[in-house]
Amino acid sequence: MLMEARNQLKVILLSVKYNIMREMTNRTTFVTNIFFMILNNSTFIVQWLILFRLKNNVGGYAFDEVMTLWGFGASTFGIAHIFFRKAFELPDLIINGKLDAFLVQPKSVLLGVITSATSTSAIGDVIYGYIILVVFNFSIRNLCFFTLFTITGGIILTAFAVITGSLSFWLVRADILSNNLMNVMVSVSTYPDGIFKGIVRLLLYTVIPTGFAVYLPVRLMVRFRLDLLLGVLGFTAAICSLAGLIFYKGLKRYASSSLMSARI
Amino acid sequence: MRKYLYIYKATLLEKLQYIMNIVLGFISFFVMLFIFVNLWNYIYADSTQLISGYSRTQMIWYVIITETLWFGTRTSTLTNQVSQDIKSGTIAYGMNKPYNYMYFVIAKHFGEITFQFFLFLIAGAVVGVLFLGGLPGFNWMYLPFYIPVFFLGILINSLIRLLISIFSFWIEDSGPFHWIYNKLIIVVGTLFPVEIFPFWLQPIIRISPIFVVTYGPAKLVIDFSIEKLFKVLTAQTAYLVGLVCLLAFFYQRGVKKVNVNGG
Repeated sequence: MLMEARNQLKVILLSVKYNIMREMTNRTTFVTNIFFMILNNSTFIVQWLILFRLKNNVGGYAFDEVMTLWGFGASTFGIAHIFFRKAFELPDLIINGKLDAFLVQPKSVLLGVITSATSTSAIGDVIYGYIILVVFNFSIRNLCFFTLFTITGGIILTAFAVITGSLSFWLVRADILSNNLMNVMVSVSTYPDGIFKGIVRLLLYTVIPTGFAVYLPVRLMVRFRLDLLLGVLGFTAAICSLAGLIFYKGLKRYASSSLMSARI
Repeated sequence: MRKYLYIYKATLLEKLQYIMNIVLGFISFFVMLFIFVNLWNYIYADSTQLISGYSRTQMIWYVIITETLWFGTRTSTLTNQVSQDIKSGTIAYGMNKPYNYMYFVIAKHFGEITFQFFLFLIAGAVVGVLFLGGLPGFNWMYLPFYIPVFFLGILINSLIRLLISIFSFWIEDSGPFHWIYNKLIIVVGTLFPVEIFPFWLQPIIRISPIFVVTYGPAKLVIDFSIEKLFKVLTAQTAYLVGLVCLLAFFYQRGVKKVNVNGG
């Protein structure tokens, strides 16, 4: 079991390595994409500077905490898109019968699919997250927590993408639905949960798991609580299992479109 | 001109076949509006408070209008498709057709967004009325003035996007420049009116595309005056002339760089 997990991890890392090497073929575009993504994310600092001029806390968050929230938002999105970019394009693969090439591989179909591409600009997102940490909230303890929660957040985001993307096995136009749900998750993750109330707040910890991906990690960095840490880790494991379960259940319904393709 | 109208009409009819796709896109729109409504409700201590001269109702309506302009006019034709056509060389097929490629793309884009924009406008108005109960001071009499301002705002936004995509003739991927322009509009142009920024920054924003694309149209709906209308229309005309000249210049230079290797 452990050996199998180790081998699978090795395959994932090799896959990502070769994806990045492929993206680096044009170095100028590679570097431009990363740099501009950092710049792109930085523009939101203006938004928060303006809002904090109007009120000295937003949703119970101070400026530094909102920045950390943004850092988490960017780095979790980045990690998910570096390692598992195809999880976000799952509906296209299902609808257009592009899963065939992965079905004949000896390793896990799901991991094979979702690790088959990398987004270059996502590297900029991760770098931006760490820049934010260094500027606004740096300590060795925070660095360790930030890294841990960037990984758990990235996994939660990916699992959510697999769950929503797998709806295409059953539903027509699930691609648009999936795309919208992903947008919702990413959009709300960059605003403090304190501005939301009642049932919406509950939804952010259940149907849209932004709470476990971003909000709880920020709270844990401000004040550590073991129960919250276990909650984040437990939720990450649970949503991964659920994503795998739904994907493989859906895969049984998958019908190839006889699309001729090869993975080189 | 007739051929471009025909392209517009054909695309519009094609888009009408996929209304459900637009309706499903409302999810993101509603969520963004919901976030901003919550955010401004939190920022305003009470409904009588004024921030930079805006009441809470005016501020939220401002955001609803700018977000409608943003979501209602989004397509990938002016960004991904043009860049892809240039990168792949497919533009060579468009260049030898009996139409101007740029006008063709603009006509197609407007065909795609016309219905989409009206649907988002209705959805935005419904959200506004439900959350805020109407916009005080809004007068239907001004509607004939809003139409050219909104149309020019959308047209200028489209031309700027096209201009950025045309840079793909020189740089392989114009995507990052689109990100920056988008963020400029989203962060500075949709969430805050110009008056909320520090005084030293306001003149810069007033000469930026934000003034003609989002602020101008939204401000006129929130607080109409003939003087503002004149200012916005003058700025939009200047932008339009400048952009048409820039597009013609860069397109003519760019097409000379196209290499076609058969196929």
